[in-house]
Amino acid sequence: MKIAGSAQLPFSPERTYDLMQDPVLLAKAIPGCEALQKTGDDEYSLKMKMVLASLSGAFDGKVRLTEPDRPNSFRMVVEGSGKIGFMKGDGLLRLTPKDGGTEVAYEGDAQIGGTMAAVGNRMIDMTARMLIKRFFEKLSAEPAA
Amino acid sequence: MATTVTNIEKLVGKRIRRKEDPRLITGTATYVEDIKLPGMHHAVIVRSPHGAANIKGVDISKAAALPGVAAVFTGADITGVGSVVCGADLPGLRKPVHHILAQSRVYYVGHPVAVVVATDRYIAADGADLVEVDYEVTQAVTDPEKALAEGAPAVHPEWPDNKAFVFLQKGGDMEKAFADAEVVVKQRITSQRLVPNAMETRGVVADWLQAEHSLTLFTSTQIPHLARTILAGQLGIDENRVRVVAPEVGGGFGSKLNVYAEEALMGFISRKIGKPVKWIESRRENFLVTIHGRGHVDYFEIAAKRDGTILGLKLKLIQDLGAYHQLLTPAIPTLSVLMMPGLYNFRNIDAEVIGTFTNCVPTDAYRGAGRPEATHGIERMVDLLAAELNMDPAVIRFKNFVQPDQFPFPTATGLNYDSGDYGATLQKALDTIGYDDLRKQQAAARLEGRLMGIGISTYGELCAFGPSPATPAGGWESATVRVEPSGKVTIHTGTSPHGQGQETSFAQLAADELGVSMDDIVVLHGDTSVIPYGIGTFGSRNTAVGGPALFYALQDIKEKVKKFGKMLLKSENVVFENGKCTCQVSGKEVTFQTIAGAAYRAMQLPPDTDPGLVATKFWEPSNFAFPFGAHIIVSEVDRETGQIEIKRYVAVDDIGNQLNPLLVEGQVHGGAAQGLGQALWEHGIYDDNGQLMTGEFMDYAMPRASMMPWVECSHTTTPSPVNPLGVKGVGEAGTIGSTPAMVNSVMDALMPLGIRHLDMPLTPEKVWKAINGAA
Amino acid sequence: MIANAFEYTAPQSLDEALGLIAGGAKPLSGGMSLIPMMKLRLAAPEHLVDLARLKELNYIREENGELHIGAAVTHYEVESSPLLLGKCPLLAETAAHIGDIQVRNMGTLGGSVAHADPASDYPAALQALEAGIVLRSAGGARTVSAKDFFIDTFTTALEPGEIVSEIVVPVEPGLTGTSYQKCKHQASGFAVVGIAVRARRENGVVSLIRVGVTGLSGSSYRAENVEAALQGVEPTGEAIRAAAGLVAHSVDASADMQASSEYRKHLASVYTAKAIHAALSRSA
Repeated sequence: MKIAGSAQLPFSPERTYDLMQDPVLLAKAIPGCEALQKTGDDEYSLKMKMVLASLSGAFDGKVRLTEPDRPNSFRMVVEGSGKIGFMKGDGLLRLTPKDGGTEVAYEGDAQIGGTMAAVGNRMIDMTARMLIKRFFEKLSAEPAA
Repeated sequence: MATTVTNIEKLVGKRIRRKEDPRLITGTATYVEDIKLPGMHHAVIVRSPHGAANIKGVDISKAAALPGVAAVFTGADITGVGSVVCGADLPGLRKPVHHILAQSRVYYVGHPVAVVVATDRYIAADGADLVEVDYEVTQAVTDPEKALAEGAPAVHPEWPDNKAFVFLQKGGDMEKAFADAEVVVKQRITSQRLVPNAMETRGVVADWLQAEHSLTLFTSTQIPHLARTILAGQLGIDENRVRVVAPEVGGGFGSKLNVYAEEALMGFISRKIGKPVKWIESRRENFLVTIHGRGHVDYFEIAAKRDGTILGLKLKLIQDLGAYHQLLTPAIPTLSVLMMPGLYNFRNIDAEVIGTFTNCVPTDAYRGAGRPEATHGIERMVDLLAAELNMDPAVIRFKNFVQPDQFPFPTATGLNYDSGDYGATLQKALDTIGYDDLRKQQAAARLEGRLMGIGISTYGELCAFGPSPATPAGGWESATVRVEPSGKVTIHTGTSPHGQGQETSFAQLAADELGVSMDDIVVLHGDTSVIPYGIGTFGSRNTAVGGPALFYALQDIKEKVKKFGKMLLKSENVVFENGKCTCQVSGKEVTFQTIAGAAYRAMQLPPDTDPGLVATKFWEPSNFAFPFGAHIIVSEVDRETGQIEIKRYVAVDDIGNQLNPLLVEGQVHGGAAQGLGQALWEHGIYDDNGQLMTGEFMDYAMPRASMMPWVECSHTTTPSPVNPLGVKGVGEAGTIGSTPAMVNSVMDALMPLGIRHLDMPLTPEKVWKAINGAA
Repeated sequence: MIANAFEYTAPQSLDEALGLIAGGAKPLSGGMSLIPMMKLRLAAPEHLVDLARLKELNYIREENGELHIGAAVTHYEVESSPLLLGKCPLLAETAAHIGDIQVRNMGTLGGSVAHADPASDYPAALQALEAGIVLRSAGGARTVSAKDFFIDTFTTALEPGEIVSEIVVPVEPGLTGTSYQKCKHQASGFAVVGIAVRARRENGVVSLIRVGVTGLSGSSYRAENVEAALQGVEPTGEAIRAAAGLVAHSVDASADMQASSEYRKHLASVYTAKAIHAALSRSA
């Protein structure tokens, strides 16, 4: 499933870029993230718990940040699997200065499998949108420098 | 002595409500799920969440340790059980070994990997959650055209081109047809994957009796006898020690014309644990692991003269087979090829079928099985040709129909159409709907900018499967008529009706023949320990093949009744009518019931006659039967939203003689619902990784009663010469006829915008995009 | 399709229920959303408290110029209530669009509102009606406006321990016309878009208009830009079309296989225009 959109952050592209590479901040911003640990140059292990309406599930997975091109773009891959299924999001994030801040445009694919996929396409799309929105809201709340 | 001859009212041909209905609509019927046996265990199957993966390891320790879990089996534990059987054969067919549990690899989402058996279903499900499978995910391929491309991932590594077979069928002289052609129209047409979705999912109860070395297997199937033969072979049990029972079966539509891995698996488990075991398929599993239907990508080319005369048809058919062959998977597209010519009088065809493996659940027979795809193709092509030539779609059909004096009509694909008057059926449909006036209304609507469409489909189908040489496992059918000493009648049919209504229609037939009340007749089916071997229910064959078997068995009974009548009335001049033997001379009578008693009491027997009153017939048809019809749908497309409204639906079907027109109408309505489902709503969509994106009713749009138009049914009647009842078969007709009528109607509506073709399903967004793309 | 084990309580009183919920039990009402999730084992609550049987939550009455509807009232009861059909036809009309007859016989108003599925039907009507939603916990009750209640996808103003206990709708003079127009998802029956409009025409111009939107995005909302464009304006076809065209402006529209974001936005404007026309035609 294609996922595309954009978010406006109140920082310079450089600051925005650095925030999104900071494992401590990522751990705070990724919705439901319970632990994020560096396991390689551009790779982190991830434990998250997703709660959405009555649905809840724990996921083990990883986050990878690749194709670095500070402050213009990078690729983020988040994947996780748990008892209720697995998910993978793979997107290219492009940063451009806009209105004194930075617009982050993202474009990529979201996949879902296992029992979780039985909730329906509509729910998956809405959930992905909401998780992305929450991620950027958390980041926006960081200090400007 | 004077006698009053009372002619009992004949029941055949009457609209009689189903004897089956009271138990069905009051929830008192017994389905597999209702069967409870002492000591019965429950199985839940662990299935692959991936479309393609290597299994690195399966850890069952936690599941096995759960209190209440009796056993956990993985692929390695399954020994001495044969693989899932494919009954179809084609030259050069590649048959992957289809283990009942995955071995080292999984090939589609839902592939069974392990099974947990416990004292109740909740514990079994808890146990299944505890089975840990380590998968190494590999690249899947789900689109058959992508699977055929260079460098595509191999579904089965041993066959990197993903081709299971290439099947060619040629008839006539295609080169000449295209050389003579004044116009050639080409179109790529798809028939999307559909999920059959019987109301009752599959289910199995297996009960091994060690002392008797026998297995009883209750399963929701359309083919209990074939299932017994196959399962006995798979499990290595003598066939006469396997009893298969199809209890009440809540719909099949072809999806239960199969023998699945779970049936052998439950037999294996019951034998291993020494207890009965039950497995009931969840709806989610039904979407993922019960066969799908259709799955075609077709490239058509039609050659014609400018006057509309069709010269020939070429087809390249890419069949999405899925990862394995189920019972008939590779055979289904060959049925499409057989029906390519439709009702038309052209003799040149050239078809290439490429059976393609994908990382999807197998496709197989789904109501119509190959014939809806073919009919949709030819009916779309005829409409496209008419548009190209600026001809009326009704006119071009009349011009090309096989004519009544041409029957029996040998087709370019080697069939022999039995009987028909195709023009009369279309004319009746046109008259019923008021075609000429509709075209005027349409012209006026178009001037107002409204998108009104009139779609015609004149379908033909081949059914009543079928002569034995044309089927993988015999095409005959059996029937036993057992008259009890009281004169009550028990009928055994080798067919396995599951909604078709033969408990009613066969009782009507027998009541008329024997002159007894329908209430005195019980029709039994579906239990191999009771019923003589039969082939089962599929391919619109119950009435057209099972019916004649019953008819001839009834004739034998009547002969024997007459012998007893002559003996009891002490006269040679005796007739058997209206449930009585009557002496034409004395007027003396003896009732059927009295004769039945005498036949069993056997105080005295007619010459060369045995006691008892039972007859069994196995009947072999000489040919298929070929029903046909004309369906016309009037629709209007909302320009603003792309939404389609069905204004009218007229169906004129010719299925030969009818035993019960109410049942016939029910079949047409139900068939039309499924056909419209394909045209407008349903689509089994896999993503590139092998996930079924429409794997539940939240995304898979099943037709509902509220979405259905009223289908105005009527008939013409051309009896089939193939069988003594003159019947043809109606189980699939509605599904075959409706789909192209609907699509042709929408395409006709969109014609002023220059839109030529859209693939099914015609979702509002697809139509809206086409309208906006065209604007 | 077999749920995990769980405990089930059918409490005798609302207080007992709220006490159990305060202790962490999960409220169950009609179960139309929760039970399927449990059967798929995507939800595994340990303890369910059944609210649907509580008489204290099962009423529809008029008091002091307001309609009070208990949370355990079923969709069918909303759809068929003579009181609502007479005094708040929008809510009855909306309920009639929910699911199918079986769902409407089981599902409840409170359960649906609390669940806050972004494609459920009620939120559009409650937004247009400027309804109040009464939230109750062991500690007391508070009323939140529909606008403040629906926050995001499955996210509401409900705090832990709180349930939706009642919906309050002001009774309006007969001058107001309402309409709910829905494009049904062909598979699920949920709203691809659903538009509820409450409007009044006086002296040839629109004197009141409220537009509630569901299905289009992650949460229901009031289309205040549409309202502003028509307030005090003569409702010509052109004016309505132009105003309706604003409904999806700067909205992050949802997408699924049935309808892309682009198509959903288009449908939203078409259905908004339909709903405005229908509501105004019913404004006497």
